[in-house]
Formats: sequence, C-alpha cells, structure tokens
Amino acid sequence: MIDNIIHAAFVMTTPILLAALGGLVNRVAGLVNIGLDSMMLAGALVGLMVASQTGSWPAALVAAALVGGLLGLLMSLTVTRLQANEIIVGLGFNIAVAGLVRFFLKSWYGTSGTLSLPDVAMLPRIHIPVVADIPILGAIFSDHDPLTWAAWLLVPVTAWFLASTRMGLRLRAAGAAPQAARALGLNPLNLRDASTVFAGAMSGLAGAYLCIGVVGIFNEGITAGRGFLALAAFYFGRNRPWPTALGALLFGLFDAIQIRLQGRGLPAELVQTLPYVMVIVILTLVAITMKRARNKGA
Amino acid sequence: MSAVASSARATPAVGWRDVALAVAPLVLALVVAGIVLGVAGHNPLEVYWLLLQESFGGVKRIAATVAASTPLILTGLATAVAFRSGVFNVGVEGCVLVGGLAAAYVGFTYVGLPAALLLPFALGAAVIAGTLWMLVPALLKARLDVDEVVTTLMLNFIAVSLTAWLVNGPLLAPGSANSATPMVAEAARLPRLLPPSTLNAGFLIAIALLVLYWLWGRGTALGLETRLAGLNPRFAIASGINVPMLIIKMMLLSGAIGGLAGGIQALGTVNRFVVGFSPGYGFTGIAVALLGRGSAIGILLAALLFGALATSGATIQLFSDVPIEIVNILQGTVMIFAVARFGWLLKQRQGGK
Repeated sequence: MIDNIIHAAFVMTTPILLAALGGLVNRVAGLVNIGLDSMMLAGALVGLMVASQTGSWPAALVAAALVGGLLGLLMSLTVTRLQANEIIVGLGFNIAVAGLVRFFLKSWYGTSGTLSLPDVAMLPRIHIPVVADIPILGAIFSDHDPLTWAAWLLVPVTAWFLASTRMGLRLRAAGAAPQAARALGLNPLNLRDASTVFAGAMSGLAGAYLCIGVVGIFNEGITAGRGFLALAAFYFGRNRPWPTALGALLFGLFDAIQIRLQGRGLPAELVQTLPYVMVIVILTLVAITMKRARNKGA
Repeated sequence: MSAVASSARATPAVGWRDVALAVAPLVLALVVAGIVLGVAGHNPLEVYWLLLQESFGGVKRIAATVAASTPLILTGLATAVAFRSGVFNVGVEGCVLVGGLAAAYVGFTYVGLPAALLLPFALGAAVIAGTLWMLVPALLKARLDVDEVVTTLMLNFIAVSLTAWLVNGPLLAPGSANSATPMVAEAARLPRLLPPSTLNAGFLIAIALLVLYWLWGRGTALGLETRLAGLNPRFAIASGINVPMLIIKMMLLSGAIGGLAGGIQALGTVNRFVVGFSPGYGFTGIAVALLGRGSAIGILLAALLFGALATSGATIQLFSDVPIEIVNILQGTVMIFAVARFGWLLKQRQGGK
C-alpha cells in the first residue's frame, strides 16, 4: 500500500518536475511562464501521435520537446520583441493552444476530447534487481522509466548550471540585471528567448510523459492544470532547484493520494485544492519573513 | 482660420490611427485563425461570413449575441477596473464561480420570499461572495506585496474544485445525478427581455454599470487616482495617494463585479449552478478588457464581439463541420495580439518625443 503510493507519487511528480525545472530556468532569466500548460498539452498530443506512427519512444520525446520548444519560441518572441505582457500572453497561449488541439482532434481524427491510437510505444520501465525487493527503497528507485530518472538527474544539473556555468550566470544576469547584462555585451532578450525555448521543450516532455509514460491515450484534459502546478512548484521553491523539486514531489504525492482517495468517501475535489492553497500560504509566509527582515534592517 | 482647419484635420487623423490600432489585434487574430481554417480545408471567408450571419442576421440572432455578451461585459469590466489601477487581477473566473453558486444557493433556499426581496438578496449574495473571494489576494498584495497574479490564478483553481465539491455533495439537487444544484425559485429569476432568447434584465444591469464606470472614470477623484496609480505608482504615492488602500478597494470592486457576473448568469440564464458553469467567462473578460482598452465603449464592443463568436460558434457547428474551437483560437490570439500592440504603441510615443 505505502509502496504503491510512493511509486505513484514519483510517477505523478515527473511531469510537474520537468515543467517546473523549465519554468524555473525561464523565470531566472526574467520571464514568468504562465503558458507551461499549453506547451504540455501540445507535447502530449504530438508525443502520442509520433509514438504511434514510429513505434519509437525516443522519437516521440524528441518530437514533443520540439513542438514545446517551438511554442516557447513563439511565446518568447511575442514577449521580448513585441513587448507584450508575459502574463496575458501566457494565458492567451493556454486558451489558443487548448482550442487548437481540440480543433485538430476534430478535423483530423473526427474525435472530440479523447484520442486513442494503435501501437503506441510506451516508455520502458527500468527494473533494478536487488533494490526492487527492498520495501520503500524499491518503490523509490526501481521500475521507473528513463524520463523520471532524467527529471531527477536534472535537478542537481540545473542547480550546478545556474550556479557555476558561464551560461547560467548570463541567464541570471539577463533576469536580475538586464542593463548590466547589456553592458557586458550580452543580449538579454536572446538569453530570455533561449530560456523560454528550454521551458517549452521541458513542458513538451512533461506532456509526452503523461501520454506515453502513464496512460497511453490522449485526452484534452490530460494536463489537468499540471502546468500551473509546475508554476506553483517553482514559486514554492523560490527559483532554487532542490526546493522546487521538493514542491513538485509534494504535489505528486497529493496527486497520488487524491487518486487513491477517489471512491473512498473523501472528496477528491477538496484534496485537489491543497496544492493551490499551499502556494498562497507559502507565498504569504515568505513575504512575512521578508518584511520582518526588512524591518529589522531598517 | 487655417489653424482651425488644421486642428480639425489633425483630430480625425489621430482617431483613425487609434481605430486602426484597436482593430489590429482582431485582424491579426482573424488571419491566424484563417490559416488554421485553411489548413483544415475550410474557406476562412465563408466561415467568417457564416459567423457574421449567425451572430447578427436577424432579431433572434442579435438577441442571442447580446445575451451571450452580458457576462462578458461584466467580467471585462471587472478585469478593467483592476487593470486600471495597475493590479493584475486574473482571478475574475473564480469570482464568477463563487458568485454564481452564492446566488443560486439563495435562489433555491429562501424560496418563500417575494421576488422584490429574493432577487436583490440573491444578487447581493453573489456580489458579497465575489468581494470576499478577492479579499485575501487584495490584502496580501496591499500589505505584503505578494504577487497578485499567482494568488488570483491559484484561487481560480480553488474555486473550480470548491464549487465542484459543493454541488456534488452538500448542495446537490436531490435525486440529481449530474453535478447541479436545485433550480432557483421563479421569484429569484431575472426577467427575460425577448423570450424565447435568454436575453434578460442582467444585460440592463451590465449596461448601467458600464455607464457608471464611464462617469466614474471621468468625473470622480477615485477615477483619477486609479489612473494615476496604474500609470505611475511612484508618482501616485508622491502625490499623496494611499496606493495600498486603493489596491484593496479596486480588487474588491473587481471581485464584486465578477461575483455579480456569476450571479446574473445563475439567475438569468442557467437558473441553477452546475459544474462547468463558466466556459471561461473570467478569462474571456481579460481579452475583452484588453481589446476594449479599458474604455466603457471599447468593453461593450469587445464583449459583443466575443458574445457573437460564442453564440455563432455554437450554431456553426450544427450547420457545417467547422469545429466550435475556432472561437477559442480566436479568443486566445486576440488576447496575445492585444497586448503585443501596447508594446509598439509605447515605443512609437517614446520615439515621437
């Protein structure tokens, strides 16, 4: 029972974590990405289609990352070159892409809402022999797919990248001090575009994971607002990769528990509100501590 | 003489440019959606012509369009009052939901009251619910400078789940399998203006509020203060305006109007609260406010446009194989281009100076 929940929690964490790391890098470079959910949705659909057409899961992941990245680029260009407000553009992308996806489903496949395709290549599970039999540890480490492993490996990599590489430093400069970055001969807008493409690609992968890692079919509500949970996760982690991962894991755990609670008399709807309530509570606590620190300083 | 002539000529020139800039996002969105339609094998011009006929061809169709635009006028207005003071409230959707549920609750619970009492009571409940829903993000923004975009966005999801829980459990209509409250009493329903269309007195309320908004923006101190605070918060603080208090007031006002939008929808059109009550009225309201550029007449025209799209999109699906989702694509792209335009507008102004 516990093992089941832990395993499910990790499964549900993967898409949130992938998108959250993308959104984190994006925000560090100066763009708050409200459109993660739209890139996830597009990645999910394209991932499933390519997985069915080619029978190859790596090809599906590449395609999902590409379509996510392309949407990211379009969004970023609107924000950086046409100086549009990032929040509105993000919301606009969510509405337009959701419409586009359903439009495509209806005109291409003649189906509304759900798409089920033959011969979908699902992500393989990596079974680790001895560890798999140990309680709890087995659930944490064994029988996960490559994308879950990649997501968790990306946490320290992102931390290192932002803290210690030239590119990481440049991205941070583009976000925190665009004028200083420009003075150093960097183009903060290009850097911001690159970070949004990355966020889009990561969200595309996150969407593909939902399709070819979890259920094997596409549904118009498949992201279930997980792009917004990802947003919540990096706000929760205040742009630091490890706390962001912890936030994503917490949301994954809620997701897993909520699925278990359905049909047990406990209202799933109320459990679903918890991550969002927590974001507000945590932002409040952070703001209070910062205010106290300021008052002490003054 | 020549000075008068030149100034007379100069005014319409500016007007044309303004009109062109206001219409540009719509035209760009139509082009994008036209490409989508073309790729899918439809003739965009035919589709648009059909949409136009379905929304304005005849009294019945116009009534349907106006009815569909009623909630959008209100959510557009709710968004605009917040934007005007520089507050990015994206939480009107949540206010619509809690307002709609509150109005429905009063409408099916206090069935013994006469219409003269019950209707105002139910609408009042919607306004109060919407106002209270914005209280937390308003206080957090004004007192602690917590990002209102995140809090109001999160509150939308909370409102969706919370209202879904209430109508699936405690407030579920007896014997009903689908997630809906009981129907509200006859006495709680807003009178229909042009039966059988769903056009109701809520439209008149919406228009009255638009007029008030227009007067308020022109003639009152608060109207000026909000514009100053929205345009330049530091200058507003320096000139002695209490900006935190202003933020609280405007967010609560935004919530009140959003709640009213839900209440009018519950008492005028749906006559109950159901899951999926709002097909994104709050989010479309953002597009309406942006496209209308915050002006009363602009909001009215933009709401009519989106109302037309919504109502004609629903029927076009019956008469052709064009999916209704073309409406969502148009809404989203209008939103994107509406803010893109503000960018180059500012740039040109700076260049001019």
